[in-house]
Amino acid sequence: MRKVDLCLSSEGTEVILATSSDEKHPPENIIDGNPETFWTTTGMFPQEFIICFHKHVRIEKLVIQSYFVRTLRIEKSTSKEPVDFEQWIERDLVHTEGQLQNEEIMAHDGHATYLRFIITSAFDHFASVYSISAEGIAISNLS
Amino acid sequence: MVKLAAKCILAGDPAVGKTALAQIFRSDGTHFQKNYTLTTGVDLIVKMVPVPDTGDSVELFIFDSAGKELFSEMLDTLWESPNVLCLVYDVTNEQSFSNCSKWLEKARSQVPGTSLPGVLVGNKTDLAGRRAVDAAQAHEWALGQGLEFFETSVKDTKNYEAPFQCLARQFHQLYREKVEVFHALA
Repeated sequence: MRKVDLCLSSEGTEVILATSSDEKHPPENIIDGNPETFWTTTGMFPQEFIICFHKHVRIEKLVIQSYFVRTLRIEKSTSKEPVDFEQWIERDLVHTEGQLQNEEIMAHDGHATYLRFIITSAFDHFASVYSISAEGIAISNLS
Repeated sequence: MVKLAAKCILAGDPAVGKTALAQIFRSDGTHFQKNYTLTTGVDLIVKMVPVPDTGDSVELFIFDSAGKELFSEMLDTLWESPNVLCLVYDVTNEQSFSNCSKWLEKARSQVPGTSLPGVLVGNKTDLAGRRAVDAAQAHEWALGQGLEFFETSVKDTKNYEAPFQCLARQFHQLYREKVEVFHALA
């Protein structure tokens, strides 16, 4: 099967929830495939967003580009609806002054229909996420 | 249009009027608490403050916590990750003003390496005959610490909104600056 970036709106992926919204920097910017656009948090932490693949996928590798994110927790669900999330990955990121954080995560047990990203703390009052890519394969459609 | 959310911590000696200030602000000037009650835990007051000329707003989550030394260990938890600071003293009480540097230090130590926008508020200006802290002197100290300065009389419902509006404006400005940084990095 073909490995693709599963986290692209052009692949049918959607952001179905985000706790922060500046209409100039909406959460859709995370999956638009454009590294120049970003989503910003607009206040107190934790802040989160949920990505829906609209299909069963198996993720092998995640790459997250961000700034000022300190602690990131990722939960996943394999349900048809965005429920029953289980803890999957937790990372403490390093602050990289003047350049984007580029976090690569090799994933184990990457079966998912939804991913939930929770920024539990940050290095500043605000944080931003530029892109998330999930390398993997689409397994089956939701029926 | 952006709706920001900011955790605002109220700091200062006991009985300077922190709770009274928060309550009068919450109630839009209708609720002045005449009897003093020592705050022992924490009160949370949530209020939306529009930022003039922008269409944006800041939702302030005001953490009104005890000023009494006895509860100071609890503050480390309650004051975790503040976004803005409202530092209050009593203009008739010299000691409450000189303790402001201690309160400021404690607040700033919660966010090492990050700026903490703040205001200094001299309350109880209605007690003019008992004034012990000169406004000019307090203003000068505030400027030196990077704080905006206000005097209020919660009792006379005077100027009680200005400090919070200023905090909202400062936080909004900080957001704009960070978004510029985010743009520049892309």
